[in-house]
Amino acid sequence: MFLINCPFCGEREQSEFKAGGEAHIVRPKQPTELSDDQWAEYLFMRKNIKGIQFERWNHIHGCRKWFNMVRDTSNDEIKAVYKMGEKPPVK
Amino acid sequence: MLNYSNVIENDKSYPGLQMREIKPVMKLIIRGKKRQFLSAVGKSLNLLLPNEANTSSRSDQLTALWLSPDEWMIFSNEILKSDDNNYNVEKLLNKNICKTNLGAVTDVTDQFVLINLKGDKIFDLFETGSPFNFNDFKSKKGLVTQTILTKIDIIVHNQDINDVNLFVRRSFSDHLFSWMNDSASRL
Repeated sequence: MFLINCPFCGEREQSEFKAGGEAHIVRPKQPTELSDDQWAEYLFMRKNIKGIQFERWNHIHGCRKWFNMVRDTSNDEIKAVYKMGEKPPVK
Repeated sequence: MLNYSNVIENDKSYPGLQMREIKPVMKLIIRGKKRQFLSAVGKSLNLLLPNEANTSSRSDQLTALWLSPDEWMIFSNEILKSDDNNYNVEKLLNKNICKTNLGAVTDVTDQFVLINLKGDKIFDLFETGSPFNFNDFKSKKGLVTQTILTKIDIIVHNQDINDVNLFVRRSFSDHLFSWMNDSASRL
C-alpha cells in the first residue's frame, strides 16, 4: 500500500485509485492501413518492465479524474504525477 | 422527493455520537468547465461555487460542495416538502445552464441519502473503516472529501465542528448505516 498525490484532490491512499495501464500510447492515425500484427501490437502489447514506468491512473473513489504517473515498479516509488495532456516531467 | 420507503428508519445515539437521516433535501449535481458557467451559476443562485479543491461554499438556502474540478453538488440547507420533486433551483439552472449549453444539471435527490452525524466520536468512527487521513480535515469547517468507508463511496462534508454530513448512494445506505451502528457500538 502507498500514498498517491492526486493532482486534483491531494494525497490519498492507493485503495481510492484504479490503475489504468500504460500511458502515452498513441492511436494509429490510419488503422485500416495497419497489418493484423501491427494492430495487435497497438491493442494488446504493453511494457511490463522492472523499473521506471509511465502509467495512467484514475481517482475512482474520489474526483474520478484520470491522470498520469511515473512509478518505479521495483519499489513502488512515485517519481512524478501529472495531468492528462501534460508532458512527463521526468524521462 | 419521491415517495420511497425509508432505508434508515430510526435515529441512533451512542456516547459521543448521534446519527440520523435528514430528508427531504434537494440534491443536484452540476457539471461545467467554462468561466461563463461559473458566473451563470453564481448569478442564478447567488452562490459562488468553490474553486479550491475539497472545499464548500454556503448561502442562506444552499450549500455547494466541490467534487472535482468540473463537478459540484448543491443541496438545500432546509428540509423541503415531501410530496413534490420539482425544485425552483433546478428549473432555474436548467434554464440558465442547460439551455445555454454551459453545463449539465442532474437531480440526485433520490439517489443520495444524507446522514447527519453529531458528536466528538464522528472521526473515531470513520477511522475504523476509511483510508482517508482525517487529522487536518476534522478541525476545519467547510471541508469536503470523497472517499470510501467500509469500501462504500461516500461524500463527507465537515459542516461544523463535530457536525458532519455524509452522502451515500441509496442502494448502499442500509448496509452502511448498519455497519456504522455496529462500529459505533464498539468505539
